[in-house]
Amino acid sequence: MAEYHPADEMRCPMHFCVGQEAMPAALAQVLRRDDVLMSHYRSHGYYLAKGAPLDAMVAEFYGKQTGSNSGIAGSMELGSHDYNFYSGAIVAGSLFIPFGAAFAQKYRRLDDMSVSVIGDGVFDEGITYEVFNLVALHHLPMLIICENNKYAAHTSIERRQAQPKLAERARVFGLPSEQLDGNDCELLVRTLERVVPAIRAGKGPHFIEIETYRYCGHVGPGDDEGMGYRDAAEIQRWKARDPIIVMRKRLDGVVDRGELERIEREVEAEVHDAIASAKLAGFADIRKVISSNWSGEYANVVTRFTHSVTPSFGGGQSEARPGPF
Amino acid sequence: MLTRESTVAEKASAGSTRLSFAQSVNVAQRQAMELDPGVFVYGIGADGKAGIFGTTAGLVERFGPQRVFDTPIAEGGLAALAAGAGSAGLRPVLVHQRLDFMLYSIDQIVNWMAPWRFMSGGRAKMPVTIRAIIGKGWGQGPQHTKSLHAWFAHVPGLQVVMPGSPADAKGLLLSSIMSDDPTVFIEGRSLFTMQEDVPDEPYFIRLGEALVRRPGKDVTLVTMGSMVPVSLQAADALSKAGIDAEVVDLRCLMPLDVASIIRSVKKTGRLVVAEPGWRMYGAAAEIIATVVETLHDMRSRPRRVAWPQSAVPTSSKLEEQFYPTSDDIVAACRASVTES
Repeated sequence: MAEYHPADEMRCPMHFCVGQEAMPAALAQVLRRDDVLMSHYRSHGYYLAKGAPLDAMVAEFYGKQTGSNSGIAGSMELGSHDYNFYSGAIVAGSLFIPFGAAFAQKYRRLDDMSVSVIGDGVFDEGITYEVFNLVALHHLPMLIICENNKYAAHTSIERRQAQPKLAERARVFGLPSEQLDGNDCELLVRTLERVVPAIRAGKGPHFIEIETYRYCGHVGPGDDEGMGYRDAAEIQRWKARDPIIVMRKRLDGVVDRGELERIEREVEAEVHDAIASAKLAGFADIRKVISSNWSGEYANVVTRFTHSVTPSFGGGQSEARPGPF
Repeated sequence: MLTRESTVAEKASAGSTRLSFAQSVNVAQRQAMELDPGVFVYGIGADGKAGIFGTTAGLVERFGPQRVFDTPIAEGGLAALAAGAGSAGLRPVLVHQRLDFMLYSIDQIVNWMAPWRFMSGGRAKMPVTIRAIIGKGWGQGPQHTKSLHAWFAHVPGLQVVMPGSPADAKGLLLSSIMSDDPTVFIEGRSLFTMQEDVPDEPYFIRLGEALVRRPGKDVTLVTMGSMVPVSLQAADALSKAGIDAEVVDLRCLMPLDVASIIRSVKKTGRLVVAEPGWRMYGAAAEIIATVVETLHDMRSRPRRVAWPQSAVPTSSKLEEQFYPTSDDIVAACRASVTES
């Protein structure tokens, strides 16, 4: 995408997750289609983690009708209703929508679960603490993953948080918490294989903070080092422990190198096909789009409407006089 | 157990019962919960003995604590719960004893619930109902009285419902709960003791259908919510003075029944809007603008009766002077008729 975005045909703000691929890859191993996953706006990896189709995601970036959201959402609010994947721009939303979804899963006595992936920036917003409390209070089947990449846009965590130990802060709300290396995919899979079945079994919510790092600028494929909020040495340190490099080293000698290269070629071809078909697709009809804000629909129990039931109501009655309650 | 202002229901006629507005709201929720196991009711005091002015009394005994529950004072979190549970297909009913508290949840409502269907490309539903009660009388003051219906009606994706009578409260609340779109259901506290014969069976009023409560030929009086009985009282007084007002109860601000308003004003040629809220940038402004954009041969200038552009004073003497009365509506209608 980084290669194609500069062509200015994908006219939407796009937040790249290059450097933060480990957790989406790990989650893909443990989640089911009926589970709900919602991530922050750095969402592309998580969309794919849920098994949603690549071509619909690329078409969404191009704003086309064939996009997963019919071209309405773009990258920032990317979602796939059929695969129970959502994301959004206003940051704490990716915490609280899955919270409500987890409530619904418990309400229906299902063993599905909800996963929220937030960034460290969500700890800046007040709603977070209401939701932490409610998730713990209702003992919901929810996994909260915080990707601590040290920056909310261009402001470092040290400049935003008096107490930046995020897992500790979640713990005091009654959420069992742990902090992990977010670039070690194998470790993340092992952890999820322990945590996820427990959540499904009704053992309550869990919080995982992972340390990771983004290489691109906050938004867009380029870098934004010129803004002076972080230095090049820091980026290089993190690139040295890139999650894909870490995984490759571990696979060396375990998986045949030719096999890895074959997978890479396949993926690349799939991406190019997706881009080609997205470019060919048409845009949605604006009239149809404008009329899609409301469904105007009702539950099946509504089989008929009554216009007026009784004509008895008049204007002569005195108003209620409320007391203090 | 009902509060002191919710009187014991008495049988009026076969198939209907005389109920207060508060009792009607209560019955609507009970019947919605019977019809759909995904309906649940929550909010501060929802399972308490007083049952939010009687409107939720008895529900927890009937449906249990999973479907009727008390909450922390966390309005943002509560709306978040509704947004997420609604996105997953349940039908949450979130109750605020005063609408003012709901302002902590504007992000959840405006950024998430309202565009949820739109953002999904028309695929997703958000069947959420937020009941918001507006205080009036007995010292409610600046932080217990705000209506803000026009705010919510401004936002694409939201429905805004404002019942003006007990029977409408029941049919409109049942429809709101069963609607697949997010709905702000605004209840004027001053209506809570008013009574009407209410059919016992569940019934649904289509959202966006105004009701002509009193036909008339001289002036169209468009009104909504707690101003409905005040407007009916004004119409009675006008009738004695030989002015025949047609009272159009909007019932919903969004969807707005423009056709019914236009039909009435075409007939009478005159328009007065009585709104239970602030004068500037309100529902009355929208309605008058819509009418004058559509009709060019009105017989007199449209008028509005609304609150002064001021927060509401607590002192009961000042409060009495603050709220427009039926006399104010009578004066506006008279002026509208005598002008032409």
